[in-house]
Amino acid sequence: MRDSVDQSVDAPEYPPELARLPPGRHGLPREFVAHNQRERLIAGLAEAVAENGYAGTTIAHITRHAAVSRRTFYEHFSSKDECFVAAYDTVMAELSRRVGEAFDQEDEWPQAVRAGIAAMLDFLTAEPHLARLSMVEALVAGPVVVERYDSAIQNLVPYLQAGREGRSAKVLAGLSPTTEEALVGGMVSLISRRIFADRTDELEALLPDLVEFTLTPYLGSSEAAKVARQTK
Amino acid sequence: MTVADIVKRAGIARNTFYENFSSKEECFLAAQEFAMSAALERVVEAAGSFDEWPLRVRAGLGAFLGFVVEEPALARTCMVEALSAGPGAVRHYEESQQAFVSLFKLGRDVSPHGPELPATLEEALIGGVFWILYQRLTSSQLDTISELLPQLSEFALTPYLGAEGAREVAAL
Repeated sequence: MRDSVDQSVDAPEYPPELARLPPGRHGLPREFVAHNQRERLIAGLAEAVAENGYAGTTIAHITRHAAVSRRTFYEHFSSKDECFVAAYDTVMAELSRRVGEAFDQEDEWPQAVRAGIAAMLDFLTAEPHLARLSMVEALVAGPVVVERYDSAIQNLVPYLQAGREGRSAKVLAGLSPTTEEALVGGMVSLISRRIFADRTDELEALLPDLVEFTLTPYLGSSEAAKVARQTK
Repeated sequence: MTVADIVKRAGIARNTFYENFSSKEECFLAAQEFAMSAALERVVEAAGSFDEWPLRVRAGLGAFLGFVVEEPALARTCMVEALSAGPGAVRHYEESQQAFVSLFKLGRDVSPHGPELPATLEEALIGGVFWILYQRLTSSQLDTISELLPQLSEFALTPYLGAEGAREVAAL
């Protein structure tokens, strides 16, 4: 059976790192082709959702952007929802990787937190469509994605909990079981609001406030403000 | 959810629905507004019975937590469903947070640290409180909410009053 690849459609915003497969019988190993097609579908979904919103996106939109056939879509995903989950997971894996790497590169915890937040803001600013996908469209893409969204936010808690280490009894007395959850929730709500309003250009400017907000319970306000005002 | 679901639950005729609302979205917005008024009424009444700002915040927070516990369906409407119910609902959600932001901002006048506080502090504090309540609402942990009042009060008041000052009020 022939694979019918839609060769006639051009995808102008095609991610450069995902090179087009030659059409037809190319003799490449099946696993490689499958993996590549999956990536293209994910990229295709991201583009389609950026254009049409989640509700307005159809499988036809996705396959057109991905330059694969409908049949190929169904080889990888059983529905638009499933494709969205994969796209969401891909974006979040990349975001987590960057935040984790930036955090790990610093020796001191306050600077590590600052670096992690900066990496998050950098990524969301550089990729406004992916920012919208992961923080706006994700909320209307069904309960599976919403649950992942909630987990992703909660996954930030350990980065702040690490700040409890070595603190005085006095500082620790000022922290509660929900402190980190509240800090993370507050931080994300600031970021999310601007993405909802398509104001990703305002994200970078949040860095000093976010650093001060998250570090103050551990360092006190003047020390936290100092770290917040540090320039790279 | 469809209009059919709504009318079935409400036990009214489809015609009656359309006499009142032109769409499911419009109905949702009305429900959200109703829920928001209900919450705000409680918060304002509770806060209004105190003169000092820290006590007003604690009382207001207490009233809001009470609302979430006693009216979880209304709370879910404003705080959970709203985010996936379209731009009108999201705008209402922002407005409701703004009401709390205004209440908290008054703390800058009574705080020795007032001028130094970050501009987005209130937004972040409210966002944090909402996030915690959202988590409890979506994981059906309503019974754990009331006991959060002291720690949430402390969290909200510390930037303005310092840790000890906040703890004193939270422990009342």
